[in-house]
Amino acid sequence: MLTEIIDVIISGMINGSVYALMAVGLTLIYGVSKAFNFAYGSFYSMGGYLAFLVFGFAFLHNYLIVFCLAAPILFFFGYIIEKLLVAPLRKRDDWEVKVMMITLGMALFLDNSFQVVFGARMKSLPSILEGSFEAGEFILSYQDVVIFILSISGILTFRWFLNNTRTGMSVRAVAQNPAGAQIVGIPKEFVFSATFAISTVMVGMGGILLAQKYFVTPDGGWDILVKSWVITAFGGMGSIKGSLYAAFIVGMLEAFVGWQFGMTWTLIALFAVLLTTLVIRPQGLMGKRG
Amino acid sequence: MIKIQNLNSYYDDFHVLKNVSLEVEKGQIVVMLGPNGHGKSTFLKSVCGLVKKVTGSISYEGKDITGLGAEKTVNMGITYVAENRELFPDMTVLENLKLGAYSRSARPFEKENLEKVFSLFPRLKARQAQFASTMSGGEARMLAIARGLMSNARFLAMDEPSLGLQPNLRIEVARIIKEINSAGITVLLVEQNIPQITALADKLYVLEEGRISFEGSKDEALGNDHLKEIFLGM
Repeated sequence: MLTEIIDVIISGMINGSVYALMAVGLTLIYGVSKAFNFAYGSFYSMGGYLAFLVFGFAFLHNYLIVFCLAAPILFFFGYIIEKLLVAPLRKRDDWEVKVMMITLGMALFLDNSFQVVFGARMKSLPSILEGSFEAGEFILSYQDVVIFILSISGILTFRWFLNNTRTGMSVRAVAQNPAGAQIVGIPKEFVFSATFAISTVMVGMGGILLAQKYFVTPDGGWDILVKSWVITAFGGMGSIKGSLYAAFIVGMLEAFVGWQFGMTWTLIALFAVLLTTLVIRPQGLMGKRG
Repeated sequence: MIKIQNLNSYYDDFHVLKNVSLEVEKGQIVVMLGPNGHGKSTFLKSVCGLVKKVTGSISYEGKDITGLGAEKTVNMGITYVAENRELFPDMTVLENLKLGAYSRSARPFEKENLEKVFSLFPRLKARQAQFASTMSGGEARMLAIARGLMSNARFLAMDEPSLGLQPNLRIEVARIIKEINSAGITVLLVEQNIPQITALADKLYVLEEGRISFEGSKDEALGNDHLKEIFLGM
């Protein structure tokens, strides 16, 4: 019993950490540019497929190479998508709705492209680190440890970037007061594209981390999209801190509900908790009113 | 230093400024007076590249800057200090100031300007770790001015710097503007008629319904019956 509970807590923490990495990216886009990105889940799958591609070449059999190649590709991809699809809409009326529609279209396009290129079958990736730590009944795979460490370092790097670099500070400035940011001469358009690109890297990295634990499928991103949105709304739209807490709460909730009632109940439980929270606190855990 | 000719500004289809011409010479303090809602803020924002739709010409140190966005004009030394301050609420005083030095031309002088700003506003130095959202109205006003100075501005456009301040703080603001000006920064500011501020002016303009209705020195303004009527009700 006790080891089971510990197992569940650990699994909740590990999933929570990857969710946090991904949801923080989504929250960031919303906080900075008020745009809803419905292609976010497909960017997740894209991370997985990128890793799969890299592993297709025998001489590149190394996760370090995967990360080093995937990060700039994802960044560049996100940047271009923002410049080509999202930025032109921003000048129009009702651009928020139009951005939702175009990113949704983008998601369908990407998912179907994955299916055409890679086929509908699941792809699996080698584990990042084999082996496990065992103590009696208690088993902790090294893979999970690495996933946890990498997710947390991803979040910490991101935090460092926001607090200590000029670009990071300008991202926060635009999120807190766009008019003020304009006054001090911050190029808003660049900040919008850069945040979109950074969030693409974050979710793509999440995709690579989870792909070796689960599988890569063309439509695997929808689950992540839904969960990231739940976490973002739960934590408070645009609040990075709120998303962090919400991600771990969601990870834990999933683990415990899955353990007690079976995995089919996890999404139901998730939405029940989200709805209850929003009824009591419409602005989410740490969001601002209004 | 800055020369504006036949400036027209629009918000969507709303024609706010109508053929406004104005000139500020290097080292001057020029004050534009006018009733609320007649386009004073729009005028300053147009000069500082914060209004999209403008026609006419704005030239700064001989260069045409009409239609350049704030990203470029801030870099050239033109800085707007907003009437409603537009600070970054969840950042510290120090972070707000550092962002004031965002533009490329201000970066090399960040340290130097920070020291200058702290000696001008000792209160801000004492509160540098405090969040901007927790400051009083007067302190926030000082922070907005200080952030403007961090851009290494040579031309400061101030939008009602004494708005909402109690009389003793207005005197303080007037003193600071004078000090800023004597350090070589040209100042263009808009105000409703605040005697302490108006007293600083080398030249006065009055803006009514989007047009310049008076241009001249303080003495000329005192002799103008129409001005007496709108500002003093006499």
